[in-house]
Amino acid sequence: MGISVENGGILTTVQDEGRFGYQAYGVSTSGAMDSHAFHIANLLVGNKMTEGALEMTFMGPTLTFTCDNIIAVTGGDLMPMLDGQPMPMYQAVLVRKGQKLQFGGARNGCRGYIAFAGGLEIPEVMGSKSTLLRNNLGGVKGRKLEKGDTIAFTAPKTELSNMENRKVPADIYPADEVVLRVVLGPQDDEFTERGIRSFFWNSGVITDEFDRMGCRIEREPIEHKGDGNINTDGISLGSIQVPANGKPIIMLADRQSTGGYAKIGTVISVDLPKIAQSRPGQKVRFIQVSLELAQSLYIRERNKMLELDEKLNGQEAL
Amino acid sequence: MDVKFLIAGDRAVSVEFGKEICLEINAKVRMLEDKLKEEPIEGVVECVPTYCSLIVHYRPEILLYDQLVQELKKRLENLRGPREQKKIIKEVPVLYGGETGPDLEYCAQLEQTSVEEIIRKHSQHEYYVYMLGFAPGHPYMARFEEPFGFKRRESPRVSIPERSVVVQQNLSDLIPFKQPCGWNIIGSTPLDICNYEKEDPFLLNAGEWVRYVPITKAEYTQIRREVENGTYQVKTYTR
Repeated sequence: MGISVENGGILTTVQDEGRFGYQAYGVSTSGAMDSHAFHIANLLVGNKMTEGALEMTFMGPTLTFTCDNIIAVTGGDLMPMLDGQPMPMYQAVLVRKGQKLQFGGARNGCRGYIAFAGGLEIPEVMGSKSTLLRNNLGGVKGRKLEKGDTIAFTAPKTELSNMENRKVPADIYPADEVVLRVVLGPQDDEFTERGIRSFFWNSGVITDEFDRMGCRIEREPIEHKGDGNINTDGISLGSIQVPANGKPIIMLADRQSTGGYAKIGTVISVDLPKIAQSRPGQKVRFIQVSLELAQSLYIRERNKMLELDEKLNGQEAL
Repeated sequence: MDVKFLIAGDRAVSVEFGKEICLEINAKVRMLEDKLKEEPIEGVVECVPTYCSLIVHYRPEILLYDQLVQELKKRLENLRGPREQKKIIKEVPVLYGGETGPDLEYCAQLEQTSVEEIIRKHSQHEYYVYMLGFAPGHPYMARFEEPFGFKRRESPRVSIPERSVVVQQNLSDLIPFKQPCGWNIIGSTPLDICNYEKEDPFLLNAGEWVRYVPITKAEYTQIRREVENGTYQVKTYTR
């Protein structure tokens, strides 16, 4: 018993932390695009923060509950409603059997997460529940949710300790310019000085070519020293590839594990949720930061999550 | 050893051994990868070998960049020599030509030679798996003798079937899943290049060698049946 899908929404998939250990075989990691909102959703319902949850895009799904469970909705404000009444976000909510969860549309941000206490009964493929659409891998039959799908809960709960305190302030995402902090490399030496200056100096606009694989940005071309091609090498999350046309592509969760375009820089981990929640047409500006700062911000974010886990779920763990 | 550590964001570093696609540099990539399997670094999530570099994905909450580079340098200092690496060769049976190898004759025309000669060149030499990428299990392979003269087709096909064997110049790849492709298709293998159902889903690993073995239509059908039943053993030997 769990949820029954009446409408899959635009793009709803099962995602967890990602699929690691198989990039050497050409398997993309996938995983939640906005890891911050994803982690919070899980912690609110007492899960380990990496548990598989639903990631929805712009228009959420319509789900009927076939048994009780505690859930939390986080990320972009897609206007969740329970039986037609607005449902609070960033808060653990007990949903009863027969109740219907649906979404009005994206009011702020664009990707939302639904975490279910005890997790979803989704078989792990190569150690992960994440859906990789391009290769029909993981999740529900390797695809997005469709009408008629049912997903069982692994260990549904009707109570959790501390229920009234299971809420945190909602994230709010900028609707105008998105500022992304970047660490230079790995191939910044493939670009001219002018190219690098222009990369940070001029802003760009997010195009429609924006999916879980990557986000293409329209802007004044960034000048390469050569033709922009390199010997194919590994790609990290947030890498900014610049093909021969000089227009950058930010590589996201479903990115290929390797690629042959020069990468000018990498968006720092804590800023990846900002891209995940941005929309085509929004302006993007890149700012250079040091690796030391990027790593300390990442560690701070992680510690915040561990503190939240301790605060909400400390007793559960004992 | 002339090694560069390229910063690939706050959670990855690319260890680059050179700029040239060749066996010697790729062997160094392999050696470091092997070394990291023997002497793992706590906090390293996974490593991805490519032509000239090994990208190391790591967790900064466990070790920071400087610490990681220090650990990597330690391991780079005493890498085993390439001669100590064993050569693993896998036999990949191929049904050349026919419906599943539609470009075989065209390739012979391009080379101004016979179909038999194309098959001989393709199956007589061993191919090295430089790396896997693009799609799950997709090998990037090259041979080092008698390259073909032709490159890609003028216009790529929108979709070619899984298990196609495709060629250009000294390269020959195996196609794990249906995909667009601009290379010429000279045959098909009955082996699964990637099958998620299996415990070990991938036919090939980076650093291995492939020898293509010509088979008949009847053999193809037989091997395919065995592969589907899970009884086929890929012929593998080391040298």
